[in-house]
Amino acid sequence: MTELLLPHEGVGELRLLAPLLAAVQAQQRCVMWFDPPAAPCAWALSALGLDLQRLVVLQARQALKGVARSRLPAPDVLWALEQALKSGHVGAVLAWLPARLPADALRRLQMAAQAHEGPAFLLRDAALRHHPSAAPLRLALASAGPDCLRVTVLKRRGPPQARPLELALPPVLSGPALARAQRVAAVPAAGLAQAAPASGGPALSR
Amino acid sequence: MRWWALHLPLLSLEAFCATLPAEQTAEETARPVALVAAHRVAAVNGAAAVCGVRVDMKRATALALAADLLLAEASPVRDAAALRAVAHAVLAFTPSVTLHDAQTVLLEVQGSLRLFGGPAALQQRLLAALAPLGHRVQFAAAPTAVGAALLARWWPREVAGAVCAGADLLLGVHATDPAALQALLAAAPVWLLGPGREHWEALQGMGLHTLHDLQQLPRAGLARRFGTEVLDDLDRALGKRADPRRWLALPATFDSRLELFARAETTDQVLHGAGVLLLRLLAWAQARQARVGAFTLCMHHERQRRVLQPPTELAVALAEPSAELAHLQLLLRERLARMTLTAPTLELQLSCQHLVTGAVPNGELFPTHASQAEGLVRLLERLRARLGDDQVLRLQAVADHRPEHASRSVPAQGGRVSDSPDADTALAAASQAHGLLPLHRPAWLLPVPQALAEREAQPMLQGRPLQLLSGPERIETGWWDSEPAARDYYIAQTESGALVWVWHARLPSAEAGAQWFLQGRFA
Repeated sequence: MTELLLPHEGVGELRLLAPLLAAVQAQQRCVMWFDPPAAPCAWALSALGLDLQRLVVLQARQALKGVARSRLPAPDVLWALEQALKSGHVGAVLAWLPARLPADALRRLQMAAQAHEGPAFLLRDAALRHHPSAAPLRLALASAGPDCLRVTVLKRRGPPQARPLELALPPVLSGPALARAQRVAAVPAAGLAQAAPASGGPALSR
Repeated sequence: MRWWALHLPLLSLEAFCATLPAEQTAEETARPVALVAAHRVAAVNGAAAVCGVRVDMKRATALALAADLLLAEASPVRDAAALRAVAHAVLAFTPSVTLHDAQTVLLEVQGSLRLFGGPAALQQRLLAALAPLGHRVQFAAAPTAVGAALLARWWPREVAGAVCAGADLLLGVHATDPAALQALLAAAPVWLLGPGREHWEALQGMGLHTLHDLQQLPRAGLARRFGTEVLDDLDRALGKRADPRRWLALPATFDSRLELFARAETTDQVLHGAGVLLLRLLAWAQARQARVGAFTLCMHHERQRRVLQPPTELAVALAEPSAELAHLQLLLRERLARMTLTAPTLELQLSCQHLVTGAVPNGELFPTHASQAEGLVRLLERLRARLGDDQVLRLQAVADHRPEHASRSVPAQGGRVSDSPDADTALAAASQAHGLLPLHRPAWLLPVPQALAEREAQPMLQGRPLQLLSGPERIETGWWDSEPAARDYYIAQTESGALVWVWHARLPSAEAGAQWFLQGRFA
């Protein structure tokens, strides 16, 4: 079981995990997502290489006017996660768990994940990095610029890793846009003045 | 002709005990129970017999003998339903099954012996199929129908065959040919013959105790004294008279009712009663050589304040047809747990019209793709039963440029969802034509676009300005719908470096609201 701690959704975690999930799906096994934080876009997922036929999503939230409210109680989501891990018919599991969990919930999930063959990822908030967890591998993900991901290993089997890793993600931005982003990062003050405040909205070239 | 008879001596008591709530059933073996018909005791169980209660006693006498006696009305309808369930369970092995009287099932098995590998193997399978129903069965075999019924009912202790260890199924006598049958029946008492019961005292007074004595007497005299029925029955038992039977017909749909003894107020009590009905359903499905595809449980409630409550219906549809009791019980349990019962339940009714015939998939020792897919279907079924059909979803890409309509969630049924691959190829072609990178759509979409504050015509997210990096991508479509979209989309970067997808309305809208909206995040 691997725990990924994110400051917010959308730092590049799916681009990091997509090759692994695609490989699991290529072995004719199913991938299940539990309680994702927002609605997944089918186009983007198939562009990342995932097979939509072998993906099952358990939607527990409903965003009403921008505020997510839980439709399913947390014990039900935990039960479903445990059932999926114990059944042995699911290839990979991604679960977005709530911040407050019962004390033994992580331990039980860890034991169920040990019996399960295939990766299991828990994605939680980065504020929980100082809370103890039963997962054997804990990674803190943060965005290090456009199309770049900084991975800090918080806990792993073996010697601790001192420096964080910087990984280049599959690019979203085109070449000129990336160059513009780096220019903006270098000179943040000038970047603000560059955007022309036109009424119809700025028109930037690609 | 080889006839087998299954006699159920305690059928009425067992059918009644099936209606008791679960916690009482455990004590039922210790608690005296008696069934009353026409103000007289009709059946007693072991504990009541120990206290001294006998058949044909009056109600008050029985209560005086056993203070904690549980008295209930005997119901021939209930007994008939239980007997029919036994007959259905037996129908899976031979098509020739008939009911002899209220407590005996007769089957003719000569045609099935070869298929099932001999009488011993068939007997074992038969008794294994009857074991879940929980009845005490007395078994006998003979060349004639009535002869087998007599032997099964007689159950002579001194001639007893082997007794199964700890089971309620007692293997009885077997008569292989008419001569052996004659020899066995010679010692049988006269009251075994149906018509002989009324004249039992008269026959006893004359000194006629066994069938052998009856056979010694002249037939004309017997017929004049006691009527021809006694002689006819004896002739049929010994095979001297033809005995054509009408076979039991299997109904095309299943409908069974169970009236509960105590009101069921919790899910567990309803489940216990439903378990009995599920057993009958599976017996019927096995007789039809098919598996259950969907069933409906109907709960009839008691009157509340003199108003008849409409019955609550719970329809359970299986993604994959199944004939396993444990799986059906699990699904029913999960669905019942999510329902709230409006009133206590008095009667349960189970009906099934949807059967699926076909070969049962083989069980695999090592996991293969087929067994994995089947296991996944079962898992999804369990999750849907517990969480609801709308929570377990699959994604489908829709060929629509508006992002909120571009992907659709469909409930994940068992098996694969047939998705048109055209949507994916269309996207690939479009992106190549415009020179867009394949990942130009964000993975996370907000269902409702979030309005952003604006400062100097720059969008702000959570108080921080966003840097617009790439754009605009104009999406103007949906004029045929009630939701037209005319938007310019930009990829922007937050201060922490994450990429978001924002849009700006192309035409300034009438209300002075926000112009910038957040649509999604790139993950």
